[in-house]
Amino acid sequence: MELILTNHSSYPRIGDGTDHQLLRRTIAQWEKGEKTDADLRAAEDRMTELALGDQIVAGLEIVTDGQIRWYDTISHLAGKLQGIRINGLLRFFDTNTYFRQPVVHGAIERTKPLLVGDFEFAKGKSSQPVKPVLTGPVTLARHSIEENGKAGSFERLVESYTAALTPEVAALAAAGAGLIQIDEPSLLKYSADLPQAARSLKAFGAAKGSSQPMLAVYFGDATGSAKPLALGLVDGRNTRLEDTRTVAGQLEKIGRCLGSARAWLSPSCGFEYLPRDRAQLKLRHLRTIRREFLGSAE
Amino acid sequence: MSREKLQKLGIDLPLFPTTSVGSFPKPDYLMKARGDFAKGKISRQELEEKSRQATEFWIRKQEELGVDVLVDGEMYRGDMVAYFAERLRGFEEGGFVRSYGNRYYHKPIITGEVRWEAPMTVVWWKYAQNLTPKPVKGMLTGPYTVMDWSFNEFYPGRRETCLALAKEIRREVEALIQAGAKIIQIDEPATSVRPEELQVAIDGLRTVTEGLPAYFITHICYGAFELIYPGMLEMPVDNFDLEMSNSGLDMLELFKRHRFTKDISFGVVDVHSHVVEEENVVEKRLRQALEVLPKESIWVDPDCGLKTRTVEEAIAKMQALVKVAKALRN
Repeated sequence: MELILTNHSSYPRIGDGTDHQLLRRTIAQWEKGEKTDADLRAAEDRMTELALGDQIVAGLEIVTDGQIRWYDTISHLAGKLQGIRINGLLRFFDTNTYFRQPVVHGAIERTKPLLVGDFEFAKGKSSQPVKPVLTGPVTLARHSIEENGKAGSFERLVESYTAALTPEVAALAAAGAGLIQIDEPSLLKYSADLPQAARSLKAFGAAKGSSQPMLAVYFGDATGSAKPLALGLVDGRNTRLEDTRTVAGQLEKIGRCLGSARAWLSPSCGFEYLPRDRAQLKLRHLRTIRREFLGSAE
Repeated sequence: MSREKLQKLGIDLPLFPTTSVGSFPKPDYLMKARGDFAKGKISRQELEEKSRQATEFWIRKQEELGVDVLVDGEMYRGDMVAYFAERLRGFEEGGFVRSYGNRYYHKPIITGEVRWEAPMTVVWWKYAQNLTPKPVKGMLTGPYTVMDWSFNEFYPGRRETCLALAKEIRREVEALIQAGAKIIQIDEPATSVRPEELQVAIDGLRTVTEGLPAYFITHICYGAFELIYPGMLEMPVDNFDLEMSNSGLDMLELFKRHRFTKDISFGVVDVHSHVVEEENVVEKRLRQALEVLPKESIWVDPDCGLKTRTVEEAIAKMQALVKVAKALRN
């Protein structure tokens, strides 16, 4: 089985070194009016470059921009759409991380590109293909509230988010994204939403051009797929480094069950739940695991 | 039932005892001192002096407001898990991890067997209690929450980690009791996040409290209570301190369906809002509680720690709830 090494989505936007504190410092100064929007953008660019650098040095074949510019998984996208305002903090799943809740107060509309500019920047700075990551319509809807919400509004909300994100998928494909990842962690918590997720993915499929859409589910257990899989076998929620042989053994077992000759090896979720030094170690560990697997598979 | 337990412990409280969840905002001079200490500009002794000054401020302020069960305000603590992780053996300080937006914290890593080596909160509890004749709560973070909010590289699983921590946190409870603490609060805010692990949290708290002579409170917030109620009543504590106001008192509906069998510290002011509740709002909330819960079981407090409010807002919110509780007593 061919194994492609990829990052999942997010990456720490901070570290213990002074240079890794640049964005934190700049945001704090920007909030006080001591830095301009251009300064903030430059700090985000720099941290994105550092995140790309960590992934490339670790030997990954598919990288992400680390979602360095994202306030959180939900409000970063929802907040750029018309008809939505961003509200207070809520816990994101069972993590100790918080997101701001979107409040839908009008018709949801995409009036400008959401991620294309960020994707193009990352692509220009990376020697490896960059995978843009979009939070999916079901997960966005599950984390939003509708002002004056009416019965049955959840389905409409998913449809509205789907309609708003579909042109973004097309734009990312047109900008040269080979893989586009759609994150739907909510599916493992609310499996009844699967038909709606399928409908939104179908809509994205019609807009994907020559790109390949990839569905990411996490924060729970999923089983069975006839399609090629990205295997999140490196834990993005704990610092303990996986035993190489154990993971290689798991890969062998999975490889025997898979119908496909190709799989991706990746973290189990975004790495922003880890401190930077551990995230770096785990990125490098992906390659060590593949080496062990290929050695034992020969 | 729990009131008898309090009396046996020598504590006589009025109807609707007033208290707070634990933390109060740190005054500006203490925030500055903590920053200066982190930069190496002042000594630990100088920082502790400022922390004592702020603790005394809050004890005096609570007395002045007429609060019945006091807290030290946690002036000496930063994060509620990291504080204990820094003092228990077996932990390492992890690098920065994001909490939200541009806020980060050092998430602890368990790298070895956890061990209690010396009292972690007793000096501060004693200092606060010596300032007042009113009871001061001992304040700890529970084993489930310490486990959930740390990385684990040593123990095979979450249950083992929680129970190992529970054994050590029990030693801190014993030290507090030995020092004279009669009311001890063990915060478990993480409990409501993974309903499937409720039993782990219950077993952890049992290890911490079983057979020890104190009135135990646990504070739980941020979660899907409907998924852990009524199972959470199995927790071996006398009093649940719950965030009621932020969720529009919707837990009362659960209590109507299944009787709430413990004492409750009923959150009547929202700690996430800058707006100080009008007394009639607080009174309405308390009257709604009285429709469902026996009056002898109700304590009155804010939803959660007030540390994120300004000093003025925190005082005003405490003042509102104390006034209403006193008026309702009569």
